Amino acid sequence: MITFASFPAPPEFDAYLGTKHYEDNDMEVDLNEDDYEPSGRKLTSPGEVLTSSHAFMRGHGTFVENEEVIASVTGTIERVNKLISVRAIRTRYNAEVGDLVVGRITEVQPRRWKVDANSRQDAVLMLSSVNLPGGVQRRKVESDELQMRTFFEEGDLLVAEVQAFFADGAMSLHTRSLKYGKLRNGQLVSIPPVLIRRLKSHFLSLPCGVDLILGLNGYIWISKLTKANEQEGEEGFDAEAVYSSRNDDINEATRAAVSRVTNIIRVLAAHFVPLTDTVLLDAYEWVIEQEGDIKDILSPEVGEALVTAISAQR
Amino acid sequence: MSALISISKAEKSYIQSALEATPPLREDGRSLYDFRSVLLATGVAPLANGSARLNIGKSPEEGGGGTEVLAATKLEVETVDGADAVDGGRIVCTVACSPAAYPHLSPNALDDLQHDYTTTLHQVISHPSLHPKNLGILRGKKAWLLNLDLVVLSDAGNVYDALFMAARAAMWDTKVPATRAVQYTAKGGNAKKPADEIEKMETEGDAPSGFDTRQIPSATDFDLPDYWDEGEVLSGRDMWPLCVTLNIHSSAYFLDASLKEEAAAPLKLIVAFAFPSTSPPRVQAVRLLGPGDVPHTRLKSLVSEAGKYAQEMYNALEVKLRDEDFRRNQKARNRFAQR
Repeated sequence: MITFASFPAPPEFDAYLGTKHYEDNDMEVDLNEDDYEPSGRKLTSPGEVLTSSHAFMRGHGTFVENEEVIASVTGTIERVNKLISVRAIRTRYNAEVGDLVVGRITEVQPRRWKVDANSRQDAVLMLSSVNLPGGVQRRKVESDELQMRTFFEEGDLLVAEVQAFFADGAMSLHTRSLKYGKLRNGQLVSIPPVLIRRLKSHFLSLPCGVDLILGLNGYIWISKLTKANEQEGEEGFDAEAVYSSRNDDINEATRAAVSRVTNIIRVLAAHFVPLTDTVLLDAYEWVIEQEGDIKDILSPEVGEALVTAISAQR
Repeated sequence: MSALISISKAEKSYIQSALEATPPLREDGRSLYDFRSVLLATGVAPLANGSARLNIGKSPEEGGGGTEVLAATKLEVETVDGADAVDGGRIVCTVACSPAAYPHLSPNALDDLQHDYTTTLHQVISHPSLHPKNLGILRGKKAWLLNLDLVVLSDAGNVYDALFMAARAAMWDTKVPATRAVQYTAKGGNAKKPADEIEKMETEGDAPSGFDTRQIPSATDFDLPDYWDEGEVLSGRDMWPLCVTLNIHSSAYFLDASLKEEAAAPLKLIVAFAFPSTSPPRVQAVRLLGPGDVPHTRLKSLVSEAGKYAQEMYNALEVKLRDEDFRRNQKARNRFAQR
């Protein structure tokens, strides 16, 4: 089945209405007052005049022209003392130490892996920051360097934590916990990083038999539920299981649930709804109530209804 | 051609086993023969003779994503003097891939990819069996060169189908300016004569020999009678081919693969069909890409299956193209009424 639709119509552009925004330029006045609090609601547009460069310094996302600080991206204004910066909405992932990320190996190098983590540069995973078979405290030997591809090879997905930053700004990852490591039994969906809220835990289990890993870099891993007793314990570190690329048997219902969750996340991301565990649960329940087909979730009408229902509940 | 993205073994086997399951399920819940939603607009490039923009797989709310292709045709006058130019006009297709669509490819790999797409498209679309009749201007002297340029702006899988659909929409949209032949004569001091007067002028001079059966064109140049008129549509515009990509995995096949699915099932059969108005779809080209093989006996049934989907695609596209024509004419009329 194939159907054709039209591109959404661009907002009607009238050259004579385009100059209107000079009138509501009260932001400049606000910023010059000392008690200005960035509300976070106001979005800048590129080229918008924020304030005078005499009173304020330009930060990220701004530039100075004609002694005025001007936004260069769409985003929210942030002010620290006299420093004005704009945090962009559509941007690559800006890592912070301790963040949980999902990444994909792009390259195997001497004693390190390069990992694509939706950041400006590839992240680095050192051989010394992964758990190796034969005990956590084991020293790395030369034979480990020679068989790095048995742990992670190109294209492999992994979940890791941001450990530190290098001088050039690239992030260093580690997987030295039994929660982290190679991913299997599921599929990846990618959304803008700004939509991932920081949560108490980024490992979610939905009651429909689906495990979710919300990487703060916008990569989300959706997989079959791992039972608690099957999770490897500290003493039972099993290299076979941790670095295995073989999927378990996955039944039809689980696959359907994984696809359904994938589509829900895509729809929410398309409507720019920030993702949290409660939002996902509500959305999943709503979709189940509708009893529609999985692929229908992606249709514009159902997506619209879903987002309306979600925002009505909160 | 290798897969454009690398996926892990676990992802690959997850996709493959889901395709083998009964009933088969794909990552976004589609059945094997479903397409993602296709967005199409024609007449997007004001300076082109015909243009189209096509996106497979983007939802209307989203800012980006999907496979996006922009196609535009531009007509150019060529003097037929033995170089590349051909009497009766010719068509040249070029496909360019934006580096933004393939950030992981090196410039050389990108060139190779563009070349692959260009060759396939050019060979199918400029085939003599599809040549439009109204690309000639003056027999033996001038002809139109139709440049069909396509840009792949982003790739989310199934580029071949997108390219052919966009190419068809752009060609469908193409208008050829009306031309009028002129000739220069010394007599009477009248330098320009419209085409319909040419014959009269000649009979006034010495009578042509009865043995001379060659048709010697006397017109030497042409002009555009109406500068503001966009012209007539390219003849045979219903014929332009569409292609269907069958992604083959073991005994099953599926349509409209996403990038990940292409990586998991790299063998694909591309069949291009033309649509003569009187007869059933005609196979214009068949390509088998990727590792693996298909037994000859199976190929025949696959091609006939592809024909079925091509016909569906043709019908849906035809409705959409007529809609687009209507929408644009309506808009032009409204704008005119507002003045």
